[in-house]
Amino acid sequence: MTDERIDHGLRNLGRRSLLRGATLGLAGAALSRIARADDGEGVPPSPTARAKRVVHLFMSGGPSQLDLWDPKPLLRERNGEELPDSVRRGQRLTGMSGNQSTLPLAGSHFDFAQYGQSGAWVSELLPYTAKIVDDLCIVRSLETDAINHDPASTFLLTGSEIAGRPSLGAWLSYGLGSMNRDLPEFCVLLTRAKGGQPLYQRLWGSGFLSARHAGVQLRAGSDPVLFMNDPPGIDRATRRRMLDALRAARSDSDGAADGAALARMAQAELAFRMQASVPEVADMSDEPDSTFDLYGPEARKPGTFAANCLLARRLLERDVRFVQLFHQGWDQHAGLPKAIRVQCSETDRASAALVTDLKRRGLLDDTLVLWGGEFGRTCYSQGALTATDYGRDHHPRCTTMWMAGGGVRAGAIHGATDEFGYNVTQDPLHVHDLNATLLHLLGIDHERLTVRHQGRRYRLTDVHGVVEERLLA
Amino acid sequence: MHNGGVRLLAWLSIGTVAGGALSDRDATVDFAADVRPLLSDRCFTCHGPGVADPAGGLRLDLADEAVDPDGFSAIVPGDSDASELVRRLAHEDPERRMPPARSKLELTDEEKDLLRRWIDQGATYGEHWSFVRPERSAPPDVRAEDWVRDDLDRFVLARLESLGIAPAPEADPATLLRRASLDLTGLPPTVDELRSFLADETPDRFERAVDRMLASTAHAEHMTALWLDVARYADTFGYQADVDMNVWPWRDWVIGAFERDLRYDEFLTQQLAGDLLPDATHDTRLATAFNRLHRMTNEGGSVEEEFRVESVADRVETMAGAFLGLTVGCARCHDHKFDPISQRDYFGLFAFFDGIDESGLYSHFTTSVPTPALDLPTEEQAAKLAEAQAKVDALEAQIGDEPAPLSTLFEADFTSIGTKGAVLRAIADPEIVEDEEDVPFVRLDGENGVAAHSVGEFRRGQPFEIELSIRVPRTFERAVVLHRSRAWTDAGSRGYQLLIEDGRLSFALVNFWPGDAIAIHAVEPVAVGRWIDVVMGYDGSSRVEGLSLTVDGERIATEVVRDELTRTIQSGMGEQLTIGSRFRDRGFPGGEVRSLVVRGLSQTATGVHVDLQRARKNRDYLRQRIPQIMTMREAGPPVPERVAYLLGRGLYSERLEPVEPATPASLPAFTDEAPASRLDLARWLTHPDHPLTARVHVDRLWRVAFGRGLVPSADDLGSQSRPPRHQELLDTLARDLIESGWDGRALLRRLVLSATYRQSSAASEESRRMDPDGEHLSRALRTRHVAETIRDALLRAAGRLSRTTGGPPVLPYQPPGLWAETASKTYTPSEGEGLRRRSVYTFWRRTLPPPTMTLFDAPSREVCRVARPATTTPLQALALWNDPQFVDAAVALARVAIESAGADDAARVRYLVEALASRDPSEAELEAMSALLQAQRGIYAQDPGEARMLAEYDIERVAHPGKAAGESEAAAKDDQVLDDATAVEVAATAVVASALFGLDEVVARR
Repeated sequence: MTDERIDHGLRNLGRRSLLRGATLGLAGAALSRIARADDGEGVPPSPTARAKRVVHLFMSGGPSQLDLWDPKPLLRERNGEELPDSVRRGQRLTGMSGNQSTLPLAGSHFDFAQYGQSGAWVSELLPYTAKIVDDLCIVRSLETDAINHDPASTFLLTGSEIAGRPSLGAWLSYGLGSMNRDLPEFCVLLTRAKGGQPLYQRLWGSGFLSARHAGVQLRAGSDPVLFMNDPPGIDRATRRRMLDALRAARSDSDGAADGAALARMAQAELAFRMQASVPEVADMSDEPDSTFDLYGPEARKPGTFAANCLLARRLLERDVRFVQLFHQGWDQHAGLPKAIRVQCSETDRASAALVTDLKRRGLLDDTLVLWGGEFGRTCYSQGALTATDYGRDHHPRCTTMWMAGGGVRAGAIHGATDEFGYNVTQDPLHVHDLNATLLHLLGIDHERLTVRHQGRRYRLTDVHGVVEERLLA
Repeated sequence: MHNGGVRLLAWLSIGTVAGGALSDRDATVDFAADVRPLLSDRCFTCHGPGVADPAGGLRLDLADEAVDPDGFSAIVPGDSDASELVRRLAHEDPERRMPPARSKLELTDEEKDLLRRWIDQGATYGEHWSFVRPERSAPPDVRAEDWVRDDLDRFVLARLESLGIAPAPEADPATLLRRASLDLTGLPPTVDELRSFLADETPDRFERAVDRMLASTAHAEHMTALWLDVARYADTFGYQADVDMNVWPWRDWVIGAFERDLRYDEFLTQQLAGDLLPDATHDTRLATAFNRLHRMTNEGGSVEEEFRVESVADRVETMAGAFLGLTVGCARCHDHKFDPISQRDYFGLFAFFDGIDESGLYSHFTTSVPTPALDLPTEEQAAKLAEAQAKVDALEAQIGDEPAPLSTLFEADFTSIGTKGAVLRAIADPEIVEDEEDVPFVRLDGENGVAAHSVGEFRRGQPFEIELSIRVPRTFERAVVLHRSRAWTDAGSRGYQLLIEDGRLSFALVNFWPGDAIAIHAVEPVAVGRWIDVVMGYDGSSRVEGLSLTVDGERIATEVVRDELTRTIQSGMGEQLTIGSRFRDRGFPGGEVRSLVVRGLSQTATGVHVDLQRARKNRDYLRQRIPQIMTMREAGPPVPERVAYLLGRGLYSERLEPVEPATPASLPAFTDEAPASRLDLARWLTHPDHPLTARVHVDRLWRVAFGRGLVPSADDLGSQSRPPRHQELLDTLARDLIESGWDGRALLRRLVLSATYRQSSAASEESRRMDPDGEHLSRALRTRHVAETIRDALLRAAGRLSRTTGGPPVLPYQPPGLWAETASKTYTPSEGEGLRRRSVYTFWRRTLPPPTMTLFDAPSREVCRVARPATTTPLQALALWNDPQFVDAAVALARVAIESAGADDAARVRYLVEALASRDPSEAELEAMSALLQAQRGIYAQDPGEARMLAEYDIERVAHPGKAAGESEAAAKDDQVLDDATAVEVAATAVVASALFGLDEVVARR
């Protein structure tokens, strides 16, 4: 019911203003709307932009940093001993392990080694990623506010635990517009049939921004975008005739001069183009065998994480601004050693392949790759600690993520945690700081990317966030 | 927060906040309309309300502080050059220039000039427009008297005349009927309705049509659909697990309220406080579900109080958004930077909604309706229950005080654990020890326990006793000694349990903690370090007097903790009578147990006690089958009164001082008496002098009628809000609404019958130039319809819309797999008419709302939303083309068109356009669509098989592809296979119908 024209005007204004810091009147907004009914083109990149595109590999559930990235020999030495109060410092636990009679330290069952020039420690679970550590900027000190999945995922991906805010990709779409003519500007790919912590549209939704900024889910299978396939009996030529007839029909109608009506016609034409461009991008048959050698044979199966990584590369190549992959199943409260092995076998090779592939195609320089979950996991075992098994509960106070390309410092290791892997001891990076830095890499001042809603301006970073310069190349 | 200090809220300005005064040099600057929003936007961050330590000690929101006649003054009234404020706006020293660079805020030259002129004109402060009582204005004089149909037209016309714009001519009757029909009912007129309207030559045909619409159920459904966003109504709890919640009876209450034209003050009052009305009824209690529609979580490990605070906060924010038009959420964590809503005000409102006996979490393992809950019996159910209760009462009277004859049903032998066929089972290795007398006993560590299979499976209507000998090692804050339940908060504690809480024994029977349970708590601490014999006794009455605790043969003094058990204490989730261990709970660390005896009525017993047990079973069975809904009900004794606290940074864990219920200090209180309840809050909101309530509702009704409100920011009447485009009109209508006894329907009728409403939407050159955005109402607006209207109108045009009203939500078609791929849930579409009901009945899952709705900007309904954006995306075009619901509609419409218009192509196209746009086609439309029809006919004639696939398209078959023949409506139709010629005609016409779904009228007002 809000007038779309206002929304539209704000969008143009917001984008432009954030890039040049000017204030315009509403008259200006209206003018820019009229001048640009079809809002397909992007905005010229800011001179400070290091990245044009982002691919986010979201590891839903919270991977254990202690078994993958942040080795703590002390936990092995003191395996089974109680977590000292001096380390926990009374900080809250979840109700799942908060009532346990003991909190036994759990050393990782997995061995770590150092790799690359950077000498980064990587677990044996990630043999492929280990080979590309010199391309990565590893952050061991990411901290968040929330301790349960829903609030923590919502916080990481929308900047607020409260539902209703635009997601990261929606902010980028709002702020930067689209760089391509035929594809959505924000694509979401889910690994098929994973199970685990449920996902929800809010994580890629547009919140109070208009629906045009919401992530578009590309689904594995024959109808990758909702309602893309024409019904039986209507082929492509018929669809074209329908559109042409409509255009001819409207030529003398009352609505011809109506900007919104023109915009709708333009969007219908874009829809027609998407009907061709989306299947083309989803059809991997033109990929050489060498691609599958890189990503692994799983990449041939639509809907796998590996196939989604490859699809992500194809989308990025076509200048889709933001691609977000969701891979569920990292929530290992119990039976961690077995389950994490499966998770890594599904994701390690393709994640590394994506970075390598982008690099060899010259896309890594201006494509930012992010890998990580909504929080870390505890250094103590949830449930019984046995010789062969342990589980880890949610841990908001630290986790590890990595970034690559797009202007981040390759081969860097940022931040450190204490010897229990419980508290950050050096260079904490809060979720707001991460998002501020991410926007900075895209040439956006996170304090200027705002939208007015319910009487105030909203930001992805609320009133927080500091660009972490040390992550930048 | 994590950075220690509060960083400046630094924003970029989008759009200028000041209105018309910018341009006109000589015009009097209006503080409320122009200056305050500007100061609020650019200055209040550091110099406004809610700033603990205003920069330079300066507050610009308070005249007394900004203007100091004696000393150094930021503002010198009448002399802008002497005013430091003006100097600072253009200071050569960037360090001293305002706003500071770090704020990333700027003022345009026009805005600076505006401030200068305001100061030169005397710098008069005034209150924000929406915070003072709306006053009636005399309708202005106009030149074109003839045009006026209602006083409201005078306000509009006077503005147009002053701008030199002529109002648009009246829309043609067909357009007007379609517009009113869509605005008021969300449905277009049918072809028959349209034709009979046009054939009607009486002068008041439009008035009568509008009256018919306003009296229709369709109108009630449409108004309800709009209200559901505000009320954040959904059919699931939200958060990640997003389990179904049964709240649709509230939705039907809303439909009923609109149907019987419940006055707005009652509508508001019943929803906020219908339980507290002196003459509260079942219906008014049901209305209060409004306050319970917020999201809830059952995620494992969640802190109950954290999410209870979220629930209460959501009630506050929804009330404020729905009725005050204010966003108060910011004030939860800190004093509002712009609006004069302080954190204390926020928690004053919080205290109104804090007093029900609720849990912050719903149950993972059971399907309890979170308390407080209202039973929703059918008349038949109510009668049967009353009859069953009478039987119980009679037997209870007959028995009097005579205790039930209990016999031993089970006696534990702890040495049997682990032996073949043993009833007892170890959980995580409890230690079995022998005491000095060689009596084996169990020693627990908190994690472990002993469970007894098929023992103590008591219903709430069965008397029982459980006796156990325990040794308590130390004083516990909380320990679980014995229970029969699946889990603690994860199951709402359903079952029975013996705990130690605060060092004292407690005994409870629970359906859902805390609101549906009976519980007692010992007065004295339990003995520590020695063996004691404890008996938990229960008489099967579901009353707290029926609970007892006996220690070493003496019944001990207890206090009542809860006294309301109305539902089962069994969850059927494999729970067993267990000593110690409970899922995600503390167990009994260091506790020792050496005997366990369970007594109850023996299976072979007979007599009146058995009769009573049977009568109770029957009653409880009937009660259990009556559905419930979450509503508001203030907790009373024995539930301890809950004290609301001001929460530091809004965090549940940071309780500062206690707060009493209070309305915001900056708004008038109307009375000296302190408000105590939600009913007082509702009375305050509906007080005739309230500055906001009527304005908010008038603006809402204006939006319904005109596609856009008078207040530019529909969701905000706070101090950042731009003044309304027609404040005198808004305020006058607000007074009218109040004085009419809050008769919203009468006001809506006035709006739709006004001359302003009847204008054409075609913009004259003049209107386009002088009023590009339509804000002066020089023509009707071409806003896009809401998602529900787009779907319903297409189904209706095709004759496919079911007109059944009310009842449980339905699941229309959506692409398969959407639920499964994110959350392992299966979406099973409804059958038959459930695929074709109005969208207000569509099942709303918060984490994945119906895609056809969200593509057209419907919100997720996770939080209160007052207005929707209206965007244009390619995905909307794809949905209109290919959503099977719309393909089905195109085919159905084609069949109707062929039937009605026969073989003449032009007549057929004419019919299609009439059905879809309520008008005759243009020449170009007729030509282009006839040509398309002809072309498709030729193409399909070559390949009738292809034509048949489209012509026989049926949503029923698409929604249920696996269905065997004979099971569905579609299958029945299969018997009548279309002949080739018919298939070609239907398919070719369907292509034209579908192409015409691209007509702008399908999605936008005219």
